[in-house]
Amino acid sequence: MSDVQADKIENAIRGLLGAEHVREPRGRETLAARIIAEPRDSDEVAALVHQCEAGRITLAPLGAARTLSEIRRAPAMLGVSLARMDRIVAYEPEDMTVIAEAGMTLGALNQRLAEHGQRLALDPCNPGATTLGALIGASHAGPLRLSEGTPRDLLIGVRFVGHEGRAVHGGGRVVKNVAGYDLMKVMTGSFGTLGIITEAAFKLLPIPKGYTMGIAPFARAADAFGAALKLHDVLPLVHVEVLSPALAARFRYSGAFLLMAAVAGSASELEYQRGHFGGLDGAVFSDGARAIETYERLRDLEFAPAAVAAQLATAPAELARCVEGLGAEFRAHAACGVAQVFVGGELEPIKTRETLARWRSAAHAAHGHLRVLAAAPALRSDLDFFDAPPAGALKLMRRLKAAFDPTGVFNPGCFVGGL
Amino acid sequence: MESLAAALQLAAELPALAAELAEIVGADGVVARPSELAVYECDGWTIAKSAPDLLVLPRTTAHVSGVLAALERRGVAFVPRGAGTGLSGGCLPLNAPVMVCTSRMNHIVACDLANRRIEVESGVVNLNVTNAVKAAGYFYAPDPSSQVACTIGGNIAENSGGPHTLKYGVTTNHVLGVELVLAGGEVVELGGPADERLGYDLLGAVVGAEGTAGIVTRATLRLLREPQAHRTMLGIFADVERATAAVTAIIAAGIIPGAIEMMDALIIRAVEAAFKVGFPADAGAVLIVEIDGLEVGLSERAERIARIATEAGAVEVKLARDEAERALLWKARKRAFGAVGRLAPNYATQDGVVPRTRLPDILRVISMLSRHYKLAIGNVFHAGDGNIHPIVLYDERDPDQVRRAIEVGREILKACVEMGGSLTGEHGIGVEKQHEMPLLFAPEDLIVMSELRRVFDPNGHANPGKIIPQPGGCVEVAAPRRQAPL
Repeated sequence: MSDVQADKIENAIRGLLGAEHVREPRGRETLAARIIAEPRDSDEVAALVHQCEAGRITLAPLGAARTLSEIRRAPAMLGVSLARMDRIVAYEPEDMTVIAEAGMTLGALNQRLAEHGQRLALDPCNPGATTLGALIGASHAGPLRLSEGTPRDLLIGVRFVGHEGRAVHGGGRVVKNVAGYDLMKVMTGSFGTLGIITEAAFKLLPIPKGYTMGIAPFARAADAFGAALKLHDVLPLVHVEVLSPALAARFRYSGAFLLMAAVAGSASELEYQRGHFGGLDGAVFSDGARAIETYERLRDLEFAPAAVAAQLATAPAELARCVEGLGAEFRAHAACGVAQVFVGGELEPIKTRETLARWRSAAHAAHGHLRVLAAAPALRSDLDFFDAPPAGALKLMRRLKAAFDPTGVFNPGCFVGGL
Repeated sequence: MESLAAALQLAAELPALAAELAEIVGADGVVARPSELAVYECDGWTIAKSAPDLLVLPRTTAHVSGVLAALERRGVAFVPRGAGTGLSGGCLPLNAPVMVCTSRMNHIVACDLANRRIEVESGVVNLNVTNAVKAAGYFYAPDPSSQVACTIGGNIAENSGGPHTLKYGVTTNHVLGVELVLAGGEVVELGGPADERLGYDLLGAVVGAEGTAGIVTRATLRLLREPQAHRTMLGIFADVERATAAVTAIIAAGIIPGAIEMMDALIIRAVEAAFKVGFPADAGAVLIVEIDGLEVGLSERAERIARIATEAGAVEVKLARDEAERALLWKARKRAFGAVGRLAPNYATQDGVVPRTRLPDILRVISMLSRHYKLAIGNVFHAGDGNIHPIVLYDERDPDQVRRAIEVGREILKACVEMGGSLTGEHGIGVEKQHEMPLLFAPEDLIVMSELRRVFDPNGHANPGKIIPQPGGCVEVAAPRRQAPL
């Protein structure tokens, strides 16, 4: 697209939203979009979609631009920031559900919910910089996925703006609901390729009263995973993570694989569960504020700057063997069969491709798959960020994309099969 | 009269079609005799009836694929059926002459306890999944009341729930992968053993699609570890108001029980007559509350619940003393629908949802509607998640009672939606509630849902006439309506 065309589009969008709500990208946003628009409501999002479809302008929901900036090959023309759509729409603590606009961050939401002893129990890295739209769009989850699930488990209603600027909603504000097709699932993990999520309703849970974390170092990864699965077998764990030595070092352990498992409950329940950690050599426990602080560091572990980082998902019991053979650093949600793996520093393009190919075949051997979380911009042009789904499933996915986004403007080229 | 012409043509073609299908599934897998087909004229929603012209009973995925390919060549639509325990007419044939019943596909394919997964054919009965892994200390969480009969395929179609979904979630939270045969016979795999989706979550769209995406032939299910221990309590209340207040208070205290179930006076009497559980005859409402987890914390939590319930006005809170007492309470709860059969010749089980805090309001509305329509209505439901099941008693021999039973059901659903709830928590839209869909969804929502449906079934041959209101029905899709809040 020429600069003249870009200027024309920018002017048109300024006309729609007012000049003060259209701006240049900043920081990592530059990798995600060329122009940023900040609509104030669903109607303005619809107007943007109309404009983009008419002019065949690509648009991407921006969130905090983190996910997109790490995987986009080229920026989308228009980034839609919902920074001005960050309100709680309805919150009835006794119903334990909340409806919020998609530009609100998970951190801000949970701060409000905590006043009532509740939370949206999803814990991606850095919730203060994760909007609800991004949380759903990229299906972010963290250590808590073991006990509380992932966005698909807790999202009970969704509103989005799609083709022709249609404002569409699925689900509702009640925790049990099978009326109509499950649009929540369709939007979860769709990476902005089907529309712009503007509002979401979630099921909430009480914040557990007591929380104890046990940390134990292991010389071998296999032993750390073995201990993790053994604990998972006998206790209702809140989470159980295994970290490779480079990440363990951030918790002041050197040269060890680290098991970080947590339990919750009343005083007697905590004491009983601690007893089960007893057999682990060198296990250290923390409670209360100190344990929460450690948990937050575990949740917020960054794998950047990495030459390449990926998330593997396998059958849970096969994860250990799979990550062990990779020669990479990792954080594993050990009982969920999900791990983030990365190589730090810099890597030549050819080495990156080789590394990814190796990781991929390891994931496939463990009946799983892989998606790239981050790669240096110079390496992106010929990387497949997602594994190819089986042919039959991919055909349906192409039909879905064509049905929901017939003009092909919603964040194209970032998703499975080039969608 | 296009449809009449089509019907006539189909009638002429039926014998040839039956013969072709018999070649695929074997002669004993095709039923064409009207007297035998009458069994399949409805599911648990008995208000409308329509038998299929042919019934096919495949034994393998290849059978299903072959059957759907043969049907597509002739442009014939089909309706999938599991055990026929659905409660919204989901497997009622509507312009679908052929019914494909998965009941013979009832094998457990592979049990993988190390990964807490089990792969089953879709005709496996729900309870048999748990039975297969119970001895090893695992269970399959969704437990609809019909679990002794209903199939996993049916559960997937309806996204079924059950009492314990309050803590554990519904079917969609426990299905990791399916093998799906599309109309036309193509077999696709969606999801898999890993707990992350690759690409769009089409699996999530298939669960709850009420058989309109095709026929699920296999499923990989998540197994959970059986909790160390349970405590099952019975709370007895003078009226439903106090019982619902107790529900809200328990959950507000940060306790998420495995289940909280409520029965009102009418149901209590029916259940007591059937099962002799020991419910006081004069009780206005009872709550069954079950908590589970580590043995060490349970008694303390049970005492807290008893205290909260008493403060909310419980006359008495009893703890089930042993497994036999626990089993009796659950038998009473899960067979309550059947017990009601003693009170009237027919009953219609409704399914609606309100935000939990609106339970007292919806119960008041139901009691008012019961008086207005002069029909007895009992309530037995999943109080913890606001999922009500009013049971409307009527006599199908009296057309006016049938009319009133349908109307009162609609009024209850309208009230649920007005309170911010939903038309159905676990029974599905099926045929029964299509016309209420516009209460909840705007025209553009329904358009997008229709598009999603066509992704799986472009020609509309998989279970036509369900979920989305049909043009020419009582309510047009394009009817104007207010924007519903989420």
